[in-house]
Amino acid sequence: MRKYTILMVVSVLVGLFAMMTMASVSLSLITSPDNGPSLQWLAQEFEKQNPDIRINVSIVSWETLYPRLLADLRAKSGVYDIFTWDVMTAGSVHSGCLDLTKFFKEHSNIIPKNYDRNDLLPLAEKLGEWNGDLIGLPYYNNTMLFYYRKDLFNNPKYQKEFYDMFGRPLRVPTTWAEAVDVAKFFTKKYNSNSPTRFGIALMFPTTHTMFYMFPLFFGPYRRSPEGIREFGSVNITYGDYFTSDGKPAFANKYGLMALEDMKALMPYAPDPLGSDYGQTIEYFSQGMTAMCPQWTNPYMQFKSSPALQPYSEKIGIAPMPGRSVAGNWALGISKYIPLEKQIAAAKFILFATSKWATLHVLEKFGIAPIRESILDNPEAQKVIPWVKALPTIYQTETFRPRIPQEPQLESITDVYFSEMLAGKIPMTIESLKKLAQKWEKVLSSK
Amino acid sequence: MVPEKELKENLIRMHDRRIALLFILPAVVLFLVMAIYPFIYMIYTSFTNLNLSMSGTGQFIGLSNYFEIFHDPLAMGSITFSTMVLLIAVPIEMAIGVLFGLLIRGLKGERIFRLLFLISMMIPGIVFGISAQMIFNYLFGAANYFLSFFGVPEIAWFGHAATAQFVILFLDIIQWTPFIFLITYAGLLSVPQDLIDAARVDGASRWQLFINVELPTLKSFIYIALIIRLIDALKIFGKIYMTTWGGPGMATSSWSFYIYKVGVSYGWDIGYASALAIILLIVSAILVNLLIKVLNLGETLELKREG
Repeated sequence: MRKYTILMVVSVLVGLFAMMTMASVSLSLITSPDNGPSLQWLAQEFEKQNPDIRINVSIVSWETLYPRLLADLRAKSGVYDIFTWDVMTAGSVHSGCLDLTKFFKEHSNIIPKNYDRNDLLPLAEKLGEWNGDLIGLPYYNNTMLFYYRKDLFNNPKYQKEFYDMFGRPLRVPTTWAEAVDVAKFFTKKYNSNSPTRFGIALMFPTTHTMFYMFPLFFGPYRRSPEGIREFGSVNITYGDYFTSDGKPAFANKYGLMALEDMKALMPYAPDPLGSDYGQTIEYFSQGMTAMCPQWTNPYMQFKSSPALQPYSEKIGIAPMPGRSVAGNWALGISKYIPLEKQIAAAKFILFATSKWATLHVLEKFGIAPIRESILDNPEAQKVIPWVKALPTIYQTETFRPRIPQEPQLESITDVYFSEMLAGKIPMTIESLKKLAQKWEKVLSSK
Repeated sequence: MVPEKELKENLIRMHDRRIALLFILPAVVLFLVMAIYPFIYMIYTSFTNLNLSMSGTGQFIGLSNYFEIFHDPLAMGSITFSTMVLLIAVPIEMAIGVLFGLLIRGLKGERIFRLLFLISMMIPGIVFGISAQMIFNYLFGAANYFLSFFGVPEIAWFGHAATAQFVILFLDIIQWTPFIFLITYAGLLSVPQDLIDAARVDGASRWQLFINVELPTLKSFIYIALIIRLIDALKIFGKIYMTTWGGPGMATSSWSFYIYKVGVSYGWDIGYASALAIILLIVSAILVNLLIKVLNLGETLELKREG
């Protein structure tokens, strides 16, 4: 009798479990560490409001994200239902993304009444498009900021010493040429009174990082009146590396000047060719450098660093001396999953990009907002000081290409720039022209 | 007419064979699916323009990928560092490994030395790389810290080609010398003790003992270790991935790392990466066969059996 009771209880439990699993839609979301923690938190909040939908968030390294995602989209296997993608991978991922423009038209009932699509920053939304179709809702409106040691710049002693050395006031640089003097001042090797070991933390490694660092220096030339006259206006498909008609725009004196600006700062940075994202964040966090161009999210790490306390007095944030670079992320849905999952996925990405979510992920995780109302929100500005600087930065930031060949162009360019900066190949227009020729070869083989 | 007993035995043998096949079938299927099929697919894709980032690719393009390799300066540049690993790191590992094997054999505290020496071999390459990142960090690394006691200014280990190459080679030597030591040590243990005693009685010096008694036995072990290290050195990847990412420039980009960059990391050019991988396979096979011929390995092993 006891045996049958246990058997019955187990059967009921199994049945209940089966019903629960069958009743719920299970979604798989793949993302990188930039977005992972915030999306995990959002998934939990979403599930509380939507108990019939489960979201499994897989956080993989940035390098692993795309091979997995692209293999899945290419194979049409639908392993991943939702994914984050970088602004410059639009051309690569678009063929596997659900057309949200069409989808939202057909299923307008799933869009919450208070979603307010007009509140989305126009550029952020545009970066979620490919050939006019919305393939991803903007999630993280990332950009690069110029972090500096406010306390050192405001210190009367250093202000006087700087003036004595350079004959002009010490201020946060607004051009890279100004940055050279300031960086020299804050480098112990060139100024024994410097409070920091190095003036600036730079990352010029032979990785993907190099490709987004170059536009910080090239952007001012590309977007100058002369640059616009010569190369045409910048469009977001080809970005600042290209002319308006899709030709490489850097194989000339402007590209060379940008590299020279980068090289001029290198003596005042700790091992720039051997430092990447993690190292430069650490250098600034430990108070070893006075300045550091970095993305928005390292602010949370700087804020909690013992060497930068009190952070409100020590961490200053300014627009880039050159121009910033867009690093947006969007949330896309695989078009190879069943309709039921597409609807559930769409509900999640709408939730994740709602006003409530945008404000909370900004405050908790430093995720740069995609909404106009959050940029203007006093609470947001109080919690995260760089929010105030964002509108100006968004108007002037540069773009990497978004075409499918972008990864191959990056691979070639990272090596070339690294070797030019290291002096292994001559830093001349001829070398840049050789690079441009390789670009043309890649572009023509599409 | 086959006797009934023999027939019964044949039936039992066939039945046993069928059962055995059934048992190994899952492993065989797994091997076919996880190893053979991907390998054959890789050969196929090497003749296509398959690129995950571009739709409409995957068409047959013949030998274009292979011809492209010889016009690709980045691929050619990777040969340089791969050659450095083969010609610098491997010989040093062999020399130090054999020397340590000879020195430690018979030493007091032999077991402890043996254990300590093998530790680095047990550490995965990725972990090695992470440690190296910390040790050779420009500002916070232990290497620069200890060098500062000797008045050496800070070295940008990963920022200069020469020092970046040094770091990778150094890590490879640290990690794989114990492997050579282990092989040598095992070889030394197999040298008949009575031969050593007889040589000593005859008044042989340590050097004469090594050359005339130990080395003939050790030869085959050393040759095999060399071949294994050669194949492995061509596959060097983990340390590069975790430290230099092939940079600065192409200074520390090995062939296998370049394959990763092209096919997996951010290139997604599966066709071209497959061709690169096939070339690596062909080169490895040629080098191994060449080495076997040069070292006369076949004959050496035969001699060993007869000895």
